Amino acid sequence: MVLRVQDLTKEYGDTTALSNVSFEIPDGSFAVVLGESGAGKSTLLRILNGLTAPTSGSVYLDDQEITNSRSDVGMVFQQHNLVDELSAYDNALTGTFNRTGYLRSLFNLQPTEDRELALEALDTVGLLNEADQTVNHMSGGQQQRVGIARALVQQPTLLLADEPVASLDPASAETVMTYFRETAQKRDLTTLASLHQVNIAREFGEQFIGMKDGRVMFVGSRAELTPSIIEEIYGEIQTEELREGTEATDSDDLMQSEPTHIEAES
Amino acid sequence: MSADSDRLVERLLRRLLGDIREDSGIKQRHSELKRARLIRRLFQSGLLAGIAALLYVSLNAAGFRRTEWVEYWPQFVEALAQYFPPKLYFGVIPFVDLGRYYRFMTEAGLVGEAGITLAIALAGTIMGAPLALLFGILGNERVTPFPFNFLFRGVMSIIRSIPALVWALIYVPLGGITPVTATLALGTDTIGELGRLLTDELEEVDDGPIEGIRSTGAGKPQIITFGMIPQMIRPFIAWAMFVLENNVRSAVSLGIIGAGGLGVTLTIEQQTFNFTNMMATILFIVLLVISVEMISQRTRSYLRGDDDTEQLSLYDRIVGLPERLSNSLF
Repeated sequence: MVLRVQDLTKEYGDTTALSNVSFEIPDGSFAVVLGESGAGKSTLLRILNGLTAPTSGSVYLDDQEITNSRSDVGMVFQQHNLVDELSAYDNALTGTFNRTGYLRSLFNLQPTEDRELALEALDTVGLLNEADQTVNHMSGGQQQRVGIARALVQQPTLLLADEPVASLDPASAETVMTYFRETAQKRDLTTLASLHQVNIAREFGEQFIGMKDGRVMFVGSRAELTPSIIEEIYGEIQTEELREGTEATDSDDLMQSEPTHIEAES
Repeated sequence: MSADSDRLVERLLRRLLGDIREDSGIKQRHSELKRARLIRRLFQSGLLAGIAALLYVSLNAAGFRRTEWVEYWPQFVEALAQYFPPKLYFGVIPFVDLGRYYRFMTEAGLVGEAGITLAIALAGTIMGAPLALLFGILGNERVTPFPFNFLFRGVMSIIRSIPALVWALIYVPLGGITPVTATLALGTDTIGELGRLLTDELEEVDDGPIEGIRSTGAGKPQIITFGMIPQMIRPFIAWAMFVLENNVRSAVSLGIIGAGGLGVTLTIEQQTFNFTNMMATILFIVLLVISVEMISQRTRSYLRGDDDTEQLSLYDRIVGLPERLSNSLF
């Protein structure tokens, strides 16, 4: 599915979260929205999923306008947004709600195909053995994979992810992103994820949309995403080289000052 | 936020103290602060004096007279001796005659009476609790849009403003004051009490799961059932246990007006001036209520589990005393 965003503007009172955002993502590609916190990434994704209504502008999925939350747009949230009290399996099954009547969903009477679909999705994210575990007993990375499974059960044509790995440690982030990309490739899904870690974004993204202060600053491929453009999106201080430099000196300082500090205290 | 409130405080001060230049020195700032503190002290003293006056007026209105205290005090002391009949154990140790209590408890069959009281409380709570959950949910703004949610909140408010005792009177035409009407009264009362507690709890429900379910394209009933209610189950059971505790006490009061159980025994003994028996009944009530509280306490601390300690901390602070008492009994 081709995702086309046209002149999207969102205002909250006096503040403008998005202003005239337009771009297009080709069918089946893995796109990444880059930008600092507050650049408008979350607002954009929420509008794409119909959770928030735009002030003006529109979103088209293969020339069909999106106005409401729909089952063919799957969403993975930063804070997972799972039902903590339910098992991974039951959470995955909530992905079928759009095609299940209320009473059926209330008594857990989804058809066999849907139940198998849920287990299949959990298998895709490597959690088949943990299917009966309650979500609040799972690690952050596992929870996020359940979130992906739920989105997959919806059988989406567009998969959205709002900072899917922002609250995870680097290793879990890597795992989650790998599952995420594999899933998208296997099912040929158009995918749009917002990320603020530039290295992860470069590793996994094919298309990039750079945002700053609610505006689109850059749209292009990985090759076109040069360090100077990254600098422009994030401001100068945030570039990787500079960061590494400060980290090194910081830790040196700590190494030298820490022992004396401890001695002085004791 | 804080910058905003700072500016607000500054503006308020300026209004109180007259316009003061922003670039004033430390001395001026000091005298400003001193004045602000003085004003606060005066206000606090005024408040305390006001509360004292309120107490005085209220006591007068309630008919407290010093002369009456002097007149009735000996009578009360005399009654105390009957409440707690003394006995010399082994001929030397003076203590309350527990044997007399025990004899009355078995003779009057207080265990059976306590069973009736407990049954009234249990049946009332179990009947009222699901309705309380329903009303609480329907009273939430996220479920029912603004003006209409107040329909349900209003019903709960009205129910709550009528004490259980009065509900029992309202149900009298259904067959007099009996355990049946008492149960109905407590059931009604539970809707108001528990519903109110759940309304507050629902305000704190996390938006995340609701949004998660909504993002799948689920319908509204599904969003409520799966996004909201799972988060409510623990607090629901915890508060229902709390309301059960209250209902056991209310069931005793309903007994006093004749609805059966320990309350009936209590009035009979009081009206026949068998104060020792009356105290035996009271002790039995204490035993019953503390037992129920301990069970409810255990259930709630079990439900709170590892990560939910925050949830009931306010409750613990408010009604923490009986909890600590019953815990210390273990």
